[in-house]
Order: sequence, then C-alpha cells, then structure tokens
Amino acid sequence: MNTVDILNVTKTFNSHVAVDDLTLSVPQGSVYGFIGPNGSGKTTTLRMIMNIFYPDSGEIRVFGDKLVGSATDRIGYLPEERGLYRKMKLRELLCFYGELKCGHKVGKNVDYWLEKLDLASWGNKKIETLSKGMAQKAQFISTIVTEPALVILDEPFSGLDPVNADILREAVLDLQRSGTTVIFSTHDMSVAEQMCDFIFMIYKGRKVLDGTLAAIQDEYGSDTLRMRADGGASSMRDLPGVDKITDLGQMQELRLTKGADTQRVLKDMLNRTRVNSFEITKPSLHDIFVRIAGPEAKEVQHV
Amino acid sequence: MSKIMRLALREYKAAVKTKAFIISLILFPVLMGGSILAMALLQDKVDTTDRKVVILDHSGVIGERLVAEAIARNDQFVLNEEGEKVQPAYLLEVETISEDLDAQKLALSDQVRSRELHAFLEIGPDVLNPAVADSMGGFIRYHAENAVMDAVRRWVGSPLNSLIRIDRLDAFGIEDERAAEIFSRRDVDGMGLLSINAEGGVTAAEEADEGRAIGVPFAMAMLMFMMLMTGAIPLLSSVMEEKTARIAEVLLASISPFEFMMGKVVGGVAVSLTSMLIYLGMGSMLMSGTNFSAYIPYAIFPWFAAYTVLAIIMFGSMLAAIGAACNDPKEAQSLTMPAMMPMMIPMFVLMPVLQEPMGAFATVMSLIPPFTPMLMILRQATPMTIPLWQPWIGLVGVALFAVLSVWAGGRIFRVGILMQGQPPKLGEMVKWIFKG
Repeated sequence: MNTVDILNVTKTFNSHVAVDDLTLSVPQGSVYGFIGPNGSGKTTTLRMIMNIFYPDSGEIRVFGDKLVGSATDRIGYLPEERGLYRKMKLRELLCFYGELKCGHKVGKNVDYWLEKLDLASWGNKKIETLSKGMAQKAQFISTIVTEPALVILDEPFSGLDPVNADILREAVLDLQRSGTTVIFSTHDMSVAEQMCDFIFMIYKGRKVLDGTLAAIQDEYGSDTLRMRADGGASSMRDLPGVDKITDLGQMQELRLTKGADTQRVLKDMLNRTRVNSFEITKPSLHDIFVRIAGPEAKEVQHV
Repeated sequence: MSKIMRLALREYKAAVKTKAFIISLILFPVLMGGSILAMALLQDKVDTTDRKVVILDHSGVIGERLVAEAIARNDQFVLNEEGEKVQPAYLLEVETISEDLDAQKLALSDQVRSRELHAFLEIGPDVLNPAVADSMGGFIRYHAENAVMDAVRRWVGSPLNSLIRIDRLDAFGIEDERAAEIFSRRDVDGMGLLSINAEGGVTAAEEADEGRAIGVPFAMAMLMFMMLMTGAIPLLSSVMEEKTARIAEVLLASISPFEFMMGKVVGGVAVSLTSMLIYLGMGSMLMSGTNFSAYIPYAIFPWFAAYTVLAIIMFGSMLAAIGAACNDPKEAQSLTMPAMMPMMIPMFVLMPVLQEPMGAFATVMSLIPPFTPMLMILRQATPMTIPLWQPWIGLVGVALFAVLSVWAGGRIFRVGILMQGQPPKLGEMVKWIFKG
C-alpha cells in the first residue's frame, strides 16, 4: 500500500509552473528522498502533500484517501525554515505544537525525545537561548512527537554538525524501523544515497528520476572510472574513449563515451604513466544530479 | 479542546504575559485618573500671582468704581479662612489718558509684554448710552497677551455691566440701594428627570452634573477604544511575526488558515475581556464606596461586553488578515495607520456626539457598524434615553459586519500567509477576497 499517491498534479504560481504533471507513489514504510536543485519544486510538492498548497489540477491521496484537512493530523512536517516561538520555553512549545496537531497530551513523548536528543536540560529554557543546531533538533522533535504515520522533512540535516547530523539520522532510521513512512528532501547526495530506499529527483517542476538508487545507477550505466596515477589529471588528458575528467584532487573520475572499453582505457593509460589504482564504478548520485541539472545538462529525460 | 481554542489559549497567555499588556493595563487608569485628578487639583491650585491691570477710562465715571469693585473682590476671595492665598489679587489702577493715546497704549502693551502689567482695559466715552455702537464710543476693550483665556477679563464683565446699569438706572431716577436688589442674580440649576423607584414611590430628580453628562460617557468610549487597542491592534504585528519567523508554516501543517486566524482572534477577544473585567470590576469596586457610586453605569455593562466581543472579532480578523499579507515590520507599520482609521474616526466625533446624543448625526454615525461599539456605548452612557431599537440594530449590524469581516479576512489570510516577498497592496487584497 502506498502512503502517498500523487496523480498528475500541476501547480502554477502566476505564470510560473512550479510542479508540472507530477505522478509519484511513496510506499508505506519507505524512506523516500526528494532531490533537485533549488527552486525546482521540492518544497511546493511537500507543501501540497501537507495540504498547505492546493494543486491546480490532479489529485493527491494520503493514506489511501483523497487529501482532506484532518489527514494532516497524522503527518509530521518539518519545514525548510525553522519556525519556533522565540519567547516560549522549549518543553512548553513542543507540547503546544504536539497538542495542536493531535489534540491530546504529548508531554511523555516530549520528555522521551528531549532526553534522546540530548536536550533534556534545556526544557525550561527559552527558545531564543538555544543554538541553531539545538533549535533544529527541537523542530525535529515537534515534528515527530505525535507519532505520525508519515513524516515529511524538508532539509532536515542542513546546518547540523556531524555529531548532531548522526543523531538525527539515527532517529529517522528508528522511525522507519517502527513503520513510519519518511519523505525528506536534501541537497546532500551522500545522505540520500545512504538513507533512502527510493530517490525522486525533480527538475524545473518535472520528475527526472524516480526509483531505487541501484535502479537509477543502472540506468546511467557502468560508465565511470576512478583512477589514481602518477602525473594526476594532466596525464589523462586526451585519453581516447573518455568523455569527461572530473579532478577530485587525489583521484580523478573519468566518464567514458558510450560503448568505450574500460580495458582499452587502462591499457592506454599504462602506456602513458604508472597507474596506482583503478576502479570501475557506477556513477554517484552526485554525478547523476550534476549530469541532469549541471551546466552541461543535455541528457535530461523525463521519466 | 478544539484547535482554535488551543491556539487562542497560547495567544492569550503570550499576550497577557507581555510587559506591554501589563503596562497598558496600569497606564490607562493611571492616565485617566491622573488627568482627572490633575484637573481637580489644578482647579484649586491657580496661579496666585497678583494681576495688575491699568484702566484707561474715557467715560470718566466707571474706572474708579471698578477699582473699588476689585478691592471688594480681593477682600472676599484672595485669602481663605486659614489666611492662605488661594486666588490672585486683581490690582486695578486708573491711568490718566495722555494726549497721544496711541503712544500711551503702545507703552502699556510693552509693559504687558515685559510682564510689568497683566493687561489694560480701555473704556469708551459713551458706554452708558446703549444707543451708541461699540465702534463709535460704546466699547470696552481688554488688551492682554492672551485675552481669550483670561480670568480677569471673564470677571470684569459682570461688575462693569452692573456699574453701567446702576448709572443708567440713576438716569431714570432709581436710587443706588434699590439697584443692588434689582441686579441680584439667580442661577439656573440643571436637574435630571423624576422616575418611579422599586417601592413604587417617586424618586426625586438628581442634580445634573458634568461627571454624568460628560465624564461617564467619555470614560466608557475611551475604555472601548482601549479594548480595541489591547485586543485587536496587536494581532496585525503578531500574525506578521509568525509569518516572518516561519511559525505560520508549522502551524498550517496542523491547522487550516481559517482556524489559524480564528485562534488569533479568539485570543484577542480573551485579552480584551480580561482587561475589560479588570477595568470595569476594579473601577466599580473603587468607586462603589465613594460619592461617585451613582456614576457607575451598570445597566450598559452587558452592552459593553457584547460590543467588545463583536468589535474584536470584526477588527481583529481584518487586522490579522492584513498582518498575514505583510512580510516585514515596515510594511506592517505602514498598513497599521489605515487599518486603525475605522477606530480613530469615532474618537474625532466623540464631542459632537456627546453634545447632541439624540441628533441625526449621532444616530447615523453610531449605526455604522465599525463605529457602533464606541459611539453607541457613548450615547448609551449619557443621561439621555436612547430608543432601545438603536442599540439592538447597532448590535445586529456589528454582528453581521463581524461575520463579513471574518469571511473576507479568512480569504485574505489564506493567500497572504504563504505569500513571500510581495509587498501587500490593498487592491491585491480585495482581489484575494473575491478570487480566493
């Protein structure tokens, strides 16, 4: 069963088409990553699932039913920009947000999560005294404290230090293990690769990628080499069969032209210099993202 | 508890805990009471510096006697029983009129300017003859820096005219002693109306006074204005802040825009009712033990409460909607003034309505819904009996207008709250009402 079904949804602001004929299904219990450049329609899509924006055409079903206001009571939503009452005390605010959503007391859950995310000693402090990272964790707690069946996180990890990012990531995976469906948007491709069962990429309002990481990588083929050689990038210049060299510093990533033979490239390279490491790999999500949305993007195909 | 109530409760707690609310709660009675007290005190504590006034008497028959009248007044009023000086003495002095009258008057003017003199009085040569016009020689002219607001000028008219009349009677052959009897004055006392009391007897009419005719209605209208200031006006900036702090988006994930707006409005109503209870309750308590207890207009308290609730809903939903359309404090500030206009207009017409509460102007103005809460309460608080249908029609009008305001405000709010970066324009907002 799908938690969210988006069917041919279009949303226009004035003359700008923010989301164009989008169809997407989010299976129950999955972690679904939304990626895409800034302004491509991620947040608009998330807001439509939250019933904050209404689609111009098409339909959105959540939990199998056509979206109505009360359905959002079962959805936890972390907006991209944090919104907390600065003058309220942390615990009081979390209880308010939680009770506003679900209508019953959530004090116990608030305490549990404050403890879990290392904020217990801040419960009686005002929001304005919290650091940015702490405020972000607080906002996260407010999203999940009502034990929603679906959690939507818009850029949950931006601005967090590695320790806190790990804590939050672990919390998200915990949610998934307990059966919660998670949708989150991110600019961090490695996070998406590590955490998501499915990845959805939106570009200029249209769906350009949708599927498991493996399926997406398969689609883009095994056309990538990672190589370390004496002389670095300069030794690889004008290598036959190579479309593009990305210099990663210590290592170079080579994208091959269609049909090029990896062994042939290695042989040519060995003729030139000493090769220290050589790896045939699948394109990273980062690479695929840049291919679609980067300056050289030509191969955009809507799926 | 419904979502609206939850939001209202938070709004209420946040509002009554602010320093601004507590300060305004204390400040308003302090200012109101303070200014009344100050006026009462200042009435007794007049400036007791003696007033020197020079008389140029062209008639030659009035001046010296007027000086005598002033001395009699000084003997009677300057010192109180304890020998304290409570009034200034009026030191009048007749000066011979010189050849060059203009030069003399100029010199006197300079003396007034340099504070050696308080004023000078010029009495025309023919004041005794009623047939002679002021401009011809029947004039009495009082020259001072601010002759309009001048206690000496106000006083001098009465003894002057008495003297003139005595002289005129003299001309008719009526002797001086009888003249004083003829001129003894009677005051007209303003009285209320008689009514039937609980025991079926007739209640004697009470003496009319300014407190009841002006003080009470004025205080009630001001109190209504205060309710709007504490309950409705803050909604504009508070919604704007929630929008810019992105709290709005978090809230909208849990509640509909309409619930959002109504939560704010209900919170505003609760804030107003709190201050109303405090003011009316404390005011009545403080006054009940004193001579002023008869002033408390208990009969219109329920009207006041009903108007307060409806007025906050009416104005609050509009202000919340405007707040939702604003993106920063500057935009909010520039829209606050026009948004407050419907509340300010009644303030400007308080006096004309108070002077003639039953007039056509007062009746029409008080039936225009945005003005009804302040003006109808003002009229109801006067000693006049307003026909009962008027407050009821007013109340129905305000209720209808409140419904309309909530509907239109809700539509503006829904569009505005998520709109970023576009400065709100009035035309745009009107479009949102109709297009949604």
